[in-house]
Amino acid sequence: MLPARSADRAAAPDGGTRSPAVGAQAPGSPAIHAINLSKRYRDTVALQGLSMTVARGEVFGFLGPNGSGKTTAVKLLLGLARPTSGEAMVLGAAAGDRETRRQIGYLPELFRFQSWLTAREVLILHCRLLRLPRHRWPAAAAEALHAVGLAARAGDKVGTFSKGMQQRLGLGVALLGEPALIVLDEPTSALDPVGRHDVRVIIRELRDRGATVFLNTHLLEEAEQVCDTVTILSKGHAVATGTLADLKASRPGVRLQVTGLPVGWRQRLAAFGTWTTDGDWLLVSDMAAGKVPDLVAAIVSLGGRVEAVIPERQSLEERFLELLEHE
Amino acid sequence: MSPVLTIASLTVREAVRRRLVAAFALISVVLVSLSGWGFYKLSHNTSITSGETGLAVPQAVILFMFMFSFVVALSASAIASLAISAEIDSGVLQTVITRPIRRSDILLGKWLGMTGLLAAYTAIVCSLLVGVVDWTSGYVPPDPAAAAVFVLAEGVMLLTLVLLLSTRLSALAAGVIGVALFGIAWLAGVAETLGAAFGIRAMHTAGQISQYLLPTDGLWHGAVFYLEPPAFVAQQLAGPRGEQADPFFTSTAPAWPYLTWAAIWLVLMLLLGLISFQRREL
Repeated sequence: MLPARSADRAAAPDGGTRSPAVGAQAPGSPAIHAINLSKRYRDTVALQGLSMTVARGEVFGFLGPNGSGKTTAVKLLLGLARPTSGEAMVLGAAAGDRETRRQIGYLPELFRFQSWLTAREVLILHCRLLRLPRHRWPAAAAEALHAVGLAARAGDKVGTFSKGMQQRLGLGVALLGEPALIVLDEPTSALDPVGRHDVRVIIRELRDRGATVFLNTHLLEEAEQVCDTVTILSKGHAVATGTLADLKASRPGVRLQVTGLPVGWRQRLAAFGTWTTDGDWLLVSDMAAGKVPDLVAAIVSLGGRVEAVIPERQSLEERFLELLEHE
Repeated sequence: MSPVLTIASLTVREAVRRRLVAAFALISVVLVSLSGWGFYKLSHNTSITSGETGLAVPQAVILFMFMFSFVVALSASAIASLAISAEIDSGVLQTVITRPIRRSDILLGKWLGMTGLLAAYTAIVCSLLVGVVDWTSGYVPPDPAAAAVFVLAEGVMLLTLVLLLSTRLSALAAGVIGVALFGIAWLAGVAETLGAAFGIRAMHTAGQISQYLLPTDGLWHGAVFYLEPPAFVAQQLAGPRGEQADPFFTSTAPAWPYLTWAAIWLVLMLLLGLISFQRREL
């Protein structure tokens, strides 16, 4: 349970308000815990009762179509805006807490660095803002530049960078100081395929060292490749949460190639699920869990010969579209 | 280095990299060269008596400082207008504000950096001017350092007001409003002078109220006072009352209560700016 606090204090934009847990950053607590988080801008409801928990050390996908409230939720979690109601804890402290920000790396969706600084100078500036020891600045900047593939452009002004290179630099800045939580808001939106691959590699490396990654994206393929759990957001509230396997297995099925079935087989096998055909294949959907061996046995008992059995899972995209259709 | 000093040094570095300092230097050279030429011509003209020169040069110095105070104020307004809203709109502040730094550190750091730039600019131009005037005409104003401080204070007042406005308004709106208020305050100061000289109570009172609402013109009069030779003050006071209505003439130094109010006003504007920025959602 969260400590009792007023909603207004939960995310003071300056992060000046401190909860009793501030500084302790309770290691046992979840990386993010939000309860009934809502945000209203005059007549527009941007976020409506969002509750979610992100465990430490996982890659969490925050998915949703444009305008579903993803970026608003990120702003509330980072203390850039105040919730209209509800509350959130990040790394065991009130969302937006100033000291906890030392443990958070953030790549905003829309941002710019000082165009008149070089890439290395931007990183040194953020080392300074993070209050890293001065002797660590050069190595920390060099490591970040290397990690995001900008070592060769370290001395170039940011103003000469393409959007993709600025996004790489943004990721490098977010990695500084080995943060416990990295919030990436659409991190690959301006990147080419090589850049996207590099980001996926970095995310996996972050998970390997025990960091939590909060990935805000509308690219389902990206989420499918790196996320452990996801929350799907639509019209300001969560419509599904779980591991990728859970979400995709919600309507399991099987694809079969069978010969020698007698007349009337459909009626006798109808109880296993909904039957459709796709060329030479038979598709069974809406099956109960663990019923595939029983199905195969039933086909064999009817005299059918089972040539192939392929388990069917929904793609994340299919599941995503299905959930949004029901909204 | 404290976060305030980090932001202040970043502000100064930006001014250098974006060639603001180079622009200041170029303008200073042009201003001082032209004024040096003017003061030389004024002091070495055989058609003017030495008595007339003795009156003309101090007035020319005041006019130069009047023009320079405008340059300082407009520069203050321009740089302060870009400080907050413009950086939020461009997305630069989002990367800084999510670091373990107070918003007050950001605002105070920017204020400190910009004030430092204005102070250096004012000190250099005023020193060069005094040197050039002395070299070309042999005249040194009674207290040029005090006058420079008042010109700087005038600029810092406007800088602080526009910084407050920039926490909520766009750079364009904040800058335009700041410059307009500065102009209105100057005009109200003229009204106050005219009201005092001709006994028009309403104008006098309106001007006085304006000087409390925005103390820029009141501080400008402080600069004028420290540039006036005592003989010039005595001559103006002895002359017809129309001469005392001259907006470039002041017979008394700014009173301490007024200067105290100006300092309180400055702190109030800074506090309002801090509160406004603190409450702003990104």
